Amino acid sequence: MIRSVFHRLLTAVSGRPAAALAALVLCGAAQGCGRQEAQFTHRAGFENLMPEAQSYVHEALEQHFGTPTQVVAWEQLPIKLHAAAGAVGAAPDARSIAVNYSQQNLPIEPGLQTAWLSGPLLQSQGDPAWVEAVDVAGRIMFEQPLASVPAEGDRVAIGPGEVLRYGRVLYAEHCQHCHGVSGDAQGPTASYLNPRPRDFRRGIFKFTTTTASNRASRADLARVIENGVPGTYMPSFKLLSDAESMAIIEYVLFLSMRGEVEYQLVTQLGNDYSNQAVKDRIDGGETRKGILDEFTGMVNGGDMQEQFNETVESIVTRWVEANEPEAIIVPGAKRPPATPESIARGRMLYLSQDLNCVACHGEAALGDGPQSYSITKNAAGEDNPTPGLYDEWGNLVKPRNLTQGIYRGGRRPIDLFARLHGGIKGTPMPAFGGKKTDEELWDLVNYILSVPFEVRHPGDGLKEARPVVEDVEQVATR
Amino acid sequence: MKKFWIALFMLVPILALWSCYVAPERGWWFPGTTGPYGGEAASPMGRRIDDLFYMILAITTVTFIGTQLALGYVLWTGARRGDAGSGEKAWFSHGSHNLEVIWSIVPAGILLFIALYQMDVVAAIRFKSEFPEQVQNRPLAEVTARQFEWRIRYPGFDANGNLLPLMADPQPTDLYAVNDLRLPAAQPVMINLRTDDVQHAFFLPELRVKQDAVPGLTIPVWFEADRADEFTLLCAELCGWGHYKMRARFVALREPDFLQYLRDLQAQQDYDGVPDAADEE
Repeated sequence: MIRSVFHRLLTAVSGRPAAALAALVLCGAAQGCGRQEAQFTHRAGFENLMPEAQSYVHEALEQHFGTPTQVVAWEQLPIKLHAAAGAVGAAPDARSIAVNYSQQNLPIEPGLQTAWLSGPLLQSQGDPAWVEAVDVAGRIMFEQPLASVPAEGDRVAIGPGEVLRYGRVLYAEHCQHCHGVSGDAQGPTASYLNPRPRDFRRGIFKFTTTTASNRASRADLARVIENGVPGTYMPSFKLLSDAESMAIIEYVLFLSMRGEVEYQLVTQLGNDYSNQAVKDRIDGGETRKGILDEFTGMVNGGDMQEQFNETVESIVTRWVEANEPEAIIVPGAKRPPATPESIARGRMLYLSQDLNCVACHGEAALGDGPQSYSITKNAAGEDNPTPGLYDEWGNLVKPRNLTQGIYRGGRRPIDLFARLHGGIKGTPMPAFGGKKTDEELWDLVNYILSVPFEVRHPGDGLKEARPVVEDVEQVATR
Repeated sequence: MKKFWIALFMLVPILALWSCYVAPERGWWFPGTTGPYGGEAASPMGRRIDDLFYMILAITTVTFIGTQLALGYVLWTGARRGDAGSGEKAWFSHGSHNLEVIWSIVPAGILLFIALYQMDVVAAIRFKSEFPEQVQNRPLAEVTARQFEWRIRYPGFDANGNLLPLMADPQPTDLYAVNDLRLPAAQPVMINLRTDDVQHAFFLPELRVKQDAVPGLTIPVWFEADRADEFTLLCAELCGWGHYKMRARFVALREPDFLQYLRDLQAQQDYDGVPDAADEE
């Protein structure tokens, strides 16, 4: 690898002796440090499994997802994997084929591999066909004649796994130092950040425009990458091209699904095959050999395979559903103008017992409600270690101070509406969609957007909010 | 052997001159040297700054060649005197009043000349009272640097569609963008530069604009892009581990395009998620 890096550097700097010299020195230094291969690491509960269960989980993940440098393009996942994919079109011959594309993700360039997903050539993967060029008619031409002519309708992938490969390189460049090689938010710069970077491995993303029960859509991830998350360390990556952004999103989805599969496996096996569970079972009269035999039987030909398939299936379904139009929050009514009446209604909703916004965000919307300094309980019903609210990842989170005018998930009215409708996933911010009508939520949005411009004085209490519209008119006539 | 060392030392100034000579064509020169505009600054003020640079380069080149020739001469004569059988004696110059006066007055004169010569350029860049009339107190955007991105706030439109002035504090009508600064071309424009956290520097290399953003200060910066084009916006102050991520773009637009851009921004920012009936048709 070092040599190939060196070669690339030399090519890049050819004709510039000073730079070539610098490259030489750099390579010398790199060689001294030794080679470090990126590896996916395992989640917290993994170490508690008995060794045999650990190796099963490890192998299952490696088989279906690979390693960072040898990513497996698993067709089961709803991810854009290949540079292009489709079915062989009319009149294929041994030197060229036409393709009816089902997806075109990256430009087709000479040197890409062609993989056959069905038909007679499926078995001859050891003898890959390399793309030589795309002719004027759009037919793919091969460097060498194919071993046999594919049939019309055979499924074909051009540049298999190319999107993930590209995405991984970009992820390593832009994202990995915070979000970690495995998407576990354990990159070297992560520990300096507050709030902590997202851990993808639960498949939960906070800022989505999908309904409460759904995962994040691709558009949601794209928006976060393009605009960043204001008020956090997630910067905007606006200058990335569409293809680059797409590849990163697909790789992040890949990491999420890998993490979810791992989470599910570790949780399922943790019930019966954690070190503690095995110890308890042995104390209860079972033998270690009996437990091992049971586990081996389950894994080899038992129902583990079926369970694994079901797990993957349910994960896949959720991600597919998140990108369906039904998952997207579309308000039933247009946003009404931010009239004083609408803002006042919004404020009453904000203060109401029903929605109880004040419990966290406080009466003056400063993010200082009583919950923010109470002992709260986690998902398992235990007290959290310090006062305040915690998210699914076990991080202390602060309710948003709404007077600052910083909106992490975006400042468009639809962003705020979606936040109220679907909640902020993985955090204590609940979803009000279905609980309140869309008109009521719009009133609340109008109120929230007016909060940074309120003029309030000590002792004002719950007096009516000063409407924003007046400000606009004043500025206009100034 | 002595001659070898003299030749080696003389190689250094020759290499320095050679590298200066080939720098422009190799792209080691001003930003955009290899581009369509041949390294010329994309703003009138940038060209004045470049002129200053070239003038200083000329002065230092003459000085450099002179001192190197003198050094070569001294080495050469010293080597000659050291030869076996040479009866020549060295000239003892220590404490020469005349020499001391010369090498104090001449550089002081040069430095004074440079200091006075560049004064109006620096004033035009730095002092608000010297800014062009049409940009004084008329910022078109507030650029806030933060770790690690550029957040931009534009004034919005009033009810009649007229562009409002930019206020010091955020207004309900304001428009927001990130890492994408767009301003009118071919006219002086002014921005207010701020930072949310540490020190950053607002750097437009093609326009030769570089200004530190200092915590607690709002610093006015003006510039003028010659043409409607896309330029690089960078952070030029090492601001933390993500410094390299602070790359953005500055797009100079024709005035009507700029207003249209703000209107588009407004439409995006007001989007309420309900597709218009007209859009669906």
